[in-house]
Amino acid sequence: MGRGGKGSAEGMENRNRWLAWVFLAPAMILVAVLMYYPMIGTAIESLYSTSFINPNPQFVGLKLYRQIFASGDFGQIVRNSVVWTVFVVLLQNVFGFAIALLLNQRLPTSGLMRSLVLLPWILPGVVAAILWRFMYDPQLGLINSFLIRIGLADQGVAWLAESSTAMGAAVIAAVWKGFPFSAVVYLAALQNVDREQIEAAIIDGAGAVRRLFSVVIPSMREVIVINVVLTTILTFNYFDMIWVLTRGGPQNATHIFPTKIYELGFGQFRFGEAAAYGVFSILILAVLIALYFILQRRGQKAARA
Amino acid sequence: MKTSLMLATAIGLMLPVAAHAEDIVLKFWDNQQTESGLSQYQQEAVKSFEAANPGIKVEVTTIPYPEYQQRLLTAVQGGNAPDVSTVDQIWVAAFAAAGAIDPLDDLAKGAGITADTFFPGAWASANYDGKLWGIPFNVDVWQFSFYNDDLLKAAGVDPASIATFEGLKAAGEKLTGNGKYGIGLFAHKGEDTVVVMDSFIFSNGGKVLNDDGSCGLTSDASVGALAYLQSLAPYAPAGMANAGAGDMRELFLNGSLAIEFWPALEQPTLQKSKLNWDFVNGTAPEGKTPIGTYGGWNLVMYANSPNKEAAWKFIQFLTQEDVNGKVVDLVPANVKAADAFLKANRKGPERIMEQLNNAAPRPLSPRYLEVSDIQVTLAQDVFAGMDPKEAATKACAAIDALN
Repeated sequence: MGRGGKGSAEGMENRNRWLAWVFLAPAMILVAVLMYYPMIGTAIESLYSTSFINPNPQFVGLKLYRQIFASGDFGQIVRNSVVWTVFVVLLQNVFGFAIALLLNQRLPTSGLMRSLVLLPWILPGVVAAILWRFMYDPQLGLINSFLIRIGLADQGVAWLAESSTAMGAAVIAAVWKGFPFSAVVYLAALQNVDREQIEAAIIDGAGAVRRLFSVVIPSMREVIVINVVLTTILTFNYFDMIWVLTRGGPQNATHIFPTKIYELGFGQFRFGEAAAYGVFSILILAVLIALYFILQRRGQKAARA
Repeated sequence: MKTSLMLATAIGLMLPVAAHAEDIVLKFWDNQQTESGLSQYQQEAVKSFEAANPGIKVEVTTIPYPEYQQRLLTAVQGGNAPDVSTVDQIWVAAFAAAGAIDPLDDLAKGAGITADTFFPGAWASANYDGKLWGIPFNVDVWQFSFYNDDLLKAAGVDPASIATFEGLKAAGEKLTGNGKYGIGLFAHKGEDTVVVMDSFIFSNGGKVLNDDGSCGLTSDASVGALAYLQSLAPYAPAGMANAGAGDMRELFLNGSLAIEFWPALEQPTLQKSKLNWDFVNGTAPEGKTPIGTYGGWNLVMYANSPNKEAAWKFIQFLTQEDVNGKVVDLVPANVKAADAFLKANRKGPERIMEQLNNAAPRPLSPRYLEVSDIQVTLAQDVFAGMDPKEAATKACAAIDALN
């Protein structure tokens, strides 16, 4: 009887294992077809020279990678991507955190303010970019007319047309579009900070700044880290804001990986080179995603402890 | 008996199906650049073609201009090309080199279609590597210098003077100031940047590509044109590197820009405005004729088309004198059709005809899209203050590396 019971349990376990695979299979197939097949296809395509006028792929090995490394464009795109990602992520998170702190206060209009803060995030990316393009317009834009009115400029500044200002202008627009995401995440985290700890800190005589850095931020550490990694991935892949504002110009001053890939692939139909840039992009993102998972696991372990 | 009856009935039932199956469905793609109701006119023309050619049905697909390049090139690349389409003059060489379209020399010769039916530059744009790859369909020229007559009068500028290098620069100086701008230059990432730059290069006797395909931008004439353009920068609205012809139109329409560069297709927009406007044909050094840059579209027949005979009939139909003017939203490429079209629809038809006869096409290179991209960077370098010779040398290094 006992042996029969053990056998039956084993059979049940086997059946459950099979069932698990059966239930998992559709999701795994979908992920393989929709994510890994294009990624592997991109890597393979980067080893072939394919363009509109040479539609039959010719195997060229790593030639396209060597070409890309040798061109001045690659270094500029890496630099631009780093500047773009670091500044957008930093400012978006700092600003988002500050707004979350404000919204966490019991102010009379906090409900309305929370809704208003979400507005930029709700706007479609292209619409937000067009809006900022108008605002930055050297002759007709709101920003220049404001600066002229208060005496900070005597004529319109071409924010998006000067290499020295275009990236900064694009970063500000992206931060405006993205800060509500960070604010919402941080607001949720702030509301979960242990009130007793804050009250204990007040009794111990800690001021607002000390409470922020010694109690609030440490207890939100995991959320902050994960939010920073997530916004880094999203910003690195951010296409529409830069494409609508500058198309990567002037003089490639705002070209980042997504805009360069689009320009090569869909503007000039140089599929091989676009794929090679795509592979670089995937590798960088893979590192960021790995970082995200490592930090998420650490966070879970810390929470369990 | 019963079997024969059934057979006869079956054949009888199949007959209409068989007749329907004989219809050739010809797929025709075109793009729309203006709000002219083009699709409706083309549908009407198609009806008359179908009536004259029983057994051929034409399926017209009209795609907005900004999406057209990507959709057409993707379709061709994916083996889903239509039978006939318009292609931008600058794509002809690439389509030919890719083997996507058929040469039309024999068909044109057989049908008696010759170069003199069309504008010279338009015909040249359809020829690549010694063969004819398309029939010119519609054309326009970059650029006409449209001017605000009130602003020119107020500044004491003779409109005719802006047709010369010297006159345009002097006018720019007089017209700029007090919130007004003299000349609507632009250098954003777009083909409008390239065609305007080309017209100054052509008018100064320069070339973008030499006859052997090498870069011609470092010649004295080409560099001279670039230096001249650079000298006009102080009279243009700030922000050239991120501005296009559309941005200049906004400033021109609100009265703050005196001279804007556009092809003749700008006229319907200006006719709707309250501005007192007119135009001159481009700009050249004193004593030389302005040479504009051709824009426009050619009709091509795809190599994979199963309906080539019908496709050729349709191409001939669309480019004949009595039809061409009704089915285009630029200027008809057929000279006689263009003459009638311009007289009926445009201000200064004789001047436009003159400019169309003088204009030159952009380089006929299968790598044109890349050449164009390099030229945009060249324009941005020049307007950012780089030495024109140095900027041209940099551009030529990039262009020659394509070969």
